[in-house]
Amino acid sequence: MKKWFLVLLLMGIALGFGGIQPSEAVKDLKVAVAGPFTGSAAAFGEMIERGAKLKADEINEAGGINGMTLTLIFEDDAGKDGEASLVAERIATNREILAVVGHFNSSCSLAGKPIYKRAGIVALSPGSTNVNVCKGSDWTFRNLYRDDFQGQFIAKYIKSVLPELQNVAVLFDNDDYGRGLADAFIMEAKAVGLKLVASEAYDRDNTDFKAQLTSIKAKNPDGIFISGLYGQAALIAKQAREADITAQFFGADGVDSPDFLKIAGPAAEGTYLTTPFLFGADNEAAQVVADNFKAAYDVAPDTWAALSYDAVGMIAEAIEATYSEKAFLKQNRKAIRDYLASLDTPEEGYKGITGLTYFDEHGDTLNKPAYVKVVKDGQFTAAPQQLLNLDAPE
Amino acid sequence: MAQFLEQLINGLVLGGIYALIAVGYTMVYGIIQLINFAHGEIFMLGAYFSFVLVAVLHVPFWVALPICMLLCAGIGMAMDVIAYRPLRKAPRLSALITAIGMSLALQNLARIIWGARQRTFPEDAIPALFLSENAIPLPGGADLPYRDFFIILFAAVLMILLNRLIYLTKIGKAMRACAQNPVAANLMGIQTNRVIAVAFAIGSALGAVAGVMVGLREVIEPTMGYYKGVAAFAAAVLGGIGNITGAMIGGILIGLAEVLGAGYISSGYRLAIAYIIMIAVILIRPSGLFGKTTGTRA
Repeated sequence: MKKWFLVLLLMGIALGFGGIQPSEAVKDLKVAVAGPFTGSAAAFGEMIERGAKLKADEINEAGGINGMTLTLIFEDDAGKDGEASLVAERIATNREILAVVGHFNSSCSLAGKPIYKRAGIVALSPGSTNVNVCKGSDWTFRNLYRDDFQGQFIAKYIKSVLPELQNVAVLFDNDDYGRGLADAFIMEAKAVGLKLVASEAYDRDNTDFKAQLTSIKAKNPDGIFISGLYGQAALIAKQAREADITAQFFGADGVDSPDFLKIAGPAAEGTYLTTPFLFGADNEAAQVVADNFKAAYDVAPDTWAALSYDAVGMIAEAIEATYSEKAFLKQNRKAIRDYLASLDTPEEGYKGITGLTYFDEHGDTLNKPAYVKVVKDGQFTAAPQQLLNLDAPE
Repeated sequence: MAQFLEQLINGLVLGGIYALIAVGYTMVYGIIQLINFAHGEIFMLGAYFSFVLVAVLHVPFWVALPICMLLCAGIGMAMDVIAYRPLRKAPRLSALITAIGMSLALQNLARIIWGARQRTFPEDAIPALFLSENAIPLPGGADLPYRDFFIILFAAVLMILLNRLIYLTKIGKAMRACAQNPVAANLMGIQTNRVIAVAFAIGSALGAVAGVMVGLREVIEPTMGYYKGVAAFAAAVLGGIGNITGAMIGGILIGLAEVLGAGYISSGYRLAIAYIIMIAVILIRPSGLFGKTTGTRA
């Protein structure tokens, strides 16, 4: 017994000495990436993780940030606000983390907001689109559009591109994202003269939508806007077709995942959806990243991988410009915020693969357009008609 | 009218699924007074097993279903032996906490093995009869898909069989005896541990059937056991926990309340409506619809 103890002790000492050496060689700068790596948005989480990692690897291969290594720490919020509060608390109290890329789900970003604000650490979201995500805190930013813009956009798109659709129904996820987006859509739909025939909610854990769909079917809409995430949207599409509902489906960026196609199968065909970014032939920088991504992970990157890639790049740029080894953690975290807040004009904005990102006084990005995709032959393709010149609402 | 008929069918299907799961909660509770929170995970495993058998190993669906039932029955019994049997004489709270731990462990195990992403059966692996276009036309233009018809039918047949098993066979009599008084039953020569194992096995096999059905109809994911599990638990409580007939009726009632509530009151509150009904019943009849009002079992 005693002998074993001694052996363990010696092993511990040996490991301890071994552990000291590398940390002296290169100092590493830690940035947290918080997202839904499990749960109902896990397919998004996977893309976020890979996009962020690709950017960090590229930075480190090119010599790091001022010679220091950028290390990403991935924290899983499972797409749930309760979990996100815990994660935010853990990140905020970790005395090595300089900034946060995340969260993804709007509910999670909203849950983390007061915690990051209190601790004084930047949270740059590559995916939250709810209107209130950035308002009321100097520490939250995002590099994509807001839901009021996106919801209005979809209504306008239906009106101007698909005028034969008169009666629309809405099925929304009963969380901050789904509700906010549905509200924006409904308001604009009424304003442009579409008739709203039904509006039904569902919970995040729901997988059986027959009750809602049976109610909607009785109202006989021409189009159904699904304001939620890909998994449930796919089931809604599938169960709607099973119930002989022939209406045209619309979705927003929450539906923009290859898993939507996989789960819905043929029911996905013809669905229109909005997305903050499209990989296109005219965007060379994005094409290079897409090729590298494919080489590293064997799959094509999606919108969220691209936005996460840019978010990490932005944070890295902020760290590079402001980080000082002699400064306290609080000062370093504050300097990153001040740097991001100073990117408030197109000239100063960050040029990433998803376009130019600069912020208004809340930390919102208002200049990025919404693109439209349509499902054709089981694939997402750019819709033949885009509406790129719509202005963002103030 | 057609709309109401379709909603009624939606409710019955969901109710049938809840009833199949609820029986597992109630059988175990009836004998050892344990709320087996991991039962929802057995349901989830049933769905995954059928997915692996049918979609990966290409076993015919009708062969895969009984294999899933057997596998889940085995896991249910193993769970009892590993997690609950050592705690039989411990305070009830210990077993309860162990059950929650078991639930989390199984959920995360599924996540490690199959990943967190949602899965659906490939269309070509599903028996042709169960494809959505095959439906029985009902008066008024409503449709009853064979798949849904089968779920209701299967739930009903299994429930009747279970009911007969409990009241007509020797093991059923032993179960009822253990539920009444395990110590006395043991003194009369009944091997209580064996009876408990049978309760776990039957409950888990029925849960597996529900899992396969939900996998066919909806989607398979590691967390699927939670939502349906909680609703089924509510169904068991509504029917009077420990009472098998109560669990069946409770399941149907919760399913109907959920769907009709969502269809005619407000879809944002679908489970809330079902739970309000449950709470109202519990307030009037604290031991549930079919629960015994004697307070001897504590």
